[in-house]
Amino acid sequence: MDTVTLSAERRTRIGSNAARALRNVGQVPAIIYGHGETPESVSMGLRDVEVALAHGARMLEVSIDGSKRRYLIKAVQYDHLASTPIHLDLTRFDADERVKVRIGIELRGVAKGLSEGGVLDQHMADLEVECLVTDIPETLHPLVTELGLDDSLHVSDLSLPDGVVAMAGDDERVASVRAQATTAEDEDGEEGEEKDSAEPERIGRVRKDDEPKKDA
Amino acid sequence: MAMMPKRVRWRKSQRGKVCGRASRGNVVSFGEYGLQILAAGWITARQLEAGRIAATHYLHREGRVYTRVFPHKPVSSKPLETRMGKGKGEPDYWVARVREGTMIFEIGGVKEEIARGALLRVTHKMPFRCRFVKRRHGL
Repeated sequence: MDTVTLSAERRTRIGSNAARALRNVGQVPAIIYGHGETPESVSMGLRDVEVALAHGARMLEVSIDGSKRRYLIKAVQYDHLASTPIHLDLTRFDADERVKVRIGIELRGVAKGLSEGGVLDQHMADLEVECLVTDIPETLHPLVTELGLDDSLHVSDLSLPDGVVAMAGDDERVASVRAQATTAEDEDGEEGEEKDSAEPERIGRVRKDDEPKKDA
Repeated sequence: MAMMPKRVRWRKSQRGKVCGRASRGNVVSFGEYGLQILAAGWITARQLEAGRIAATHYLHREGRVYTRVFPHKPVSSKPLETRMGKGKGEPDYWVARVREGTMIFEIGGVKEEIARGALLRVTHKMPFRCRFVKRRHGL
């Protein structure tokens, strides 16, 4: 996993107003904590953070007041469109420390069962693993080409690098191919036009003057 | 048939306001690709149904379409050529209240270009601007 270097400045003003002011000038507020040391409030350039996250960085080498240190990205908060980072949580770590992180699962290949009329469902989009902080794997790409109809891919089928332990149970499903359901809802449903005005059932006590009007 | 609740506590609701931006329901959670709404307001049950049908037709029974919003809110209206007064009108249709950033549809189990094509057709049925988004893996 790549480590990206970027510079940060200490924040003297904290709070939502100060954080918003920072975001307005293209900075991202962040906090560094962990290992019993005092938490530090810092800010870093939005562009640098976006590039680092786009490259799948899990660790950042942050230069504060001229001193460089590596931190693990613990959490990223995004804006309402879930596209721009608005806050970062960074943690301190030791090189021989084992950490729990969530890594993404991207399925590869076309499942055999799809040609038999099946639909591929992905039940698990990311997996929590425990590993050395220096050996955090990138996104997993399990092949699903061998999955036939009603077959499943389980956590035990994933090939994880040495030293990486999945926290989920071995029998948990990652993906499966199921037969296409043929329900009335899958069809056009155009015939239900006149049912739009149907009233749902009432819960609780109903007043007499609150009944639907027949002539309306 | 357009979506509506099975059971309700109250038949009619006041208009209300859609304030703020989406702080939840704004990420792709079920499928691999999603359609995110870029304005706040109401989406009627008919519009949602039209979107679902458009996506389902385009996918040719491949993949899966997830509708992430539900029309919980009844909207009432008075009959035509009726004088004002005499109380609130009868429930006419149902709407889903959405905020800017709400994920309204998701698609999984198909390639990106197919999902893009399907969600573009859904966009044409929606009353607001929308954008195509992919699921974020990892951080």
